[in-house]
Amino acid sequence: MRRLLAIARKDLLLMVRYPLLAVSRVVEPIAWLTPVYFLGRAFSRGADAVGFAAWTGTGDYMAFVVVGWILSSYVSAVLWGMGFALKTEMDAGVLESNWLAPQPPALLLVGRTLASVLFTTVTSAGFAALAVLLFGISIPGRLLPAVTIVLPVVVGLYGLGFLMAGSVLRMRDANTLIDIGNYVLGLLSGRDYPVSILPRPLIVLSLLLPLTYGYDGLRAALLGTRPLVPLPAEIGLAVLFMVATVAIGVWGFGRLERRCRIEGTLAQH
Amino acid sequence: MGAVARRELLIIRRYPSWILGVVVWPVLFPLAYLFSSRALAGPRGEGLSLFAQSAGTANYVGFIVIGATAWMWLNITLWGLGTSLRAEQLRGTLESNWLSPAPRFAMLIGTAAGEAIKAGVFFAVSVVGSLVILRVPVNASVPGAVAVIGLSIPWIYGLGTAFAAGVLRFKEANAIVYFVRGVFLIFAGISFPLAVLPGWMHRVAEWLPLTHTITGLRAALLDGAGPARLVPQLTFLAYSGVVLAALGYATFQAVDAHVRRTGAVWTH
Repeated sequence: MRRLLAIARKDLLLMVRYPLLAVSRVVEPIAWLTPVYFLGRAFSRGADAVGFAAWTGTGDYMAFVVVGWILSSYVSAVLWGMGFALKTEMDAGVLESNWLAPQPPALLLVGRTLASVLFTTVTSAGFAALAVLLFGISIPGRLLPAVTIVLPVVVGLYGLGFLMAGSVLRMRDANTLIDIGNYVLGLLSGRDYPVSILPRPLIVLSLLLPLTYGYDGLRAALLGTRPLVPLPAEIGLAVLFMVATVAIGVWGFGRLERRCRIEGTLAQH
Repeated sequence: MGAVARRELLIIRRYPSWILGVVVWPVLFPLAYLFSSRALAGPRGEGLSLFAQSAGTANYVGFIVIGATAWMWLNITLWGLGTSLRAEQLRGTLESNWLSPAPRFAMLIGTAAGEAIKAGVFFAVSVVGSLVILRVPVNASVPGAVAVIGLSIPWIYGLGTAFAAGVLRFKEANAIVYFVRGVFLIFAGISFPLAVLPGWMHRVAEWLPLTHTITGLRAALLDGAGPARLVPQLTFLAYSGVVLAALGYATFQAVDAHVRRTGAVWTH
């Protein structure tokens, strides 16, 4: 635990060193959401998104989107925290020496996400407050069922993060991989819309992703939208996926990392 | 300049995952807006008539794909050019390059040439993806589209140059990219008709060259508008090109003088 905290402390120090980045983490989602807000207005009568309400059961399009974005910022924190952190260390030339330290590589990776997740919680609170102010949304729902579904989903993301980190070690390029992975995950799991509007083959893929149930359950709990399956079943599915993704992720990372050690490519970038 | 462009192409070849990005992004990026629009239109098109009223077209797929592609062009230029000097600073090679007897501005222009090649591939994939995968209905005037793209090049790369210099000065690429691209994202109407903007935002939008690139491209590609019908947009883009190219050069010279005077070339 002490080692995890030491890594998190180092990352927090780096974040404090670049304060513009902290400001941008609050402001950037607003920049992304403003066109979405005006897109919603173009399809709405006043503040009521009539077509959207027919799909989801709520005409408050922006509240739907903002809840999705808050969960997606945790997705980014874990994926970026693990995959991109490795690339930064590769470029700075410290990856090999860190890797040779007497601690499991998995601990290094999890440590790199701690500060990122903490930072995300703070910036998400700022972002939610700004969204209420600028877009006039309200989130009337229940917090406990929301947390119950989000927790296994976020832990399950670590499994995906391990796989992502292993791929970055092999390919030595993080940006494209993480950017595209993150974006596709958002598209398929319904970050901004109900997955029922996707073309049929994509719906099948979507239902295989744990994150789909995370977004759907979170919105059902907080906004009263119609869930894909009853909420208790969504929580059960999220737990099941969590166990599976973490197991597959740790196993996959171990294999990819061993291969890099054998080939001696850890110091390359 | 040619040597720098060649070096950029070598680096690009060294990291083949960029090919994945250039091939996938033109189709992938508009999808989030397209699926959102599909959801907003409703199962029986309840919201579509409202969109058609403000946009002047019910072809929301073409409307969004053009806006998103133009913004992505600006985005990849800002990232590519903006982070090029910063990446060298982080790798520790900037100072030695800066001390070589090659003109420093040429180094940046060489990088821009590498980025322009990437943008060319991006556009080609975008056109094929829009027509084949997204099946965007078009009524295109090729001369109109070529004129808009040609007159957008000076302002986009001028802004990119000023941007790269700014990153060198402030030593932070991500936050500055987020800010600049965010301004264009909010105001330039990449996914929505400008008619839904409040008055003051509409006035800001009219001063952004990206707004004119997008409205010009939409008119040329969806409405068959030739150069003669696009004179207001083309004139604005031409003036923007002159101003931003000059600004890019002046900013670079000023930052170059500053970092050499303060010895800040290698610090990060």
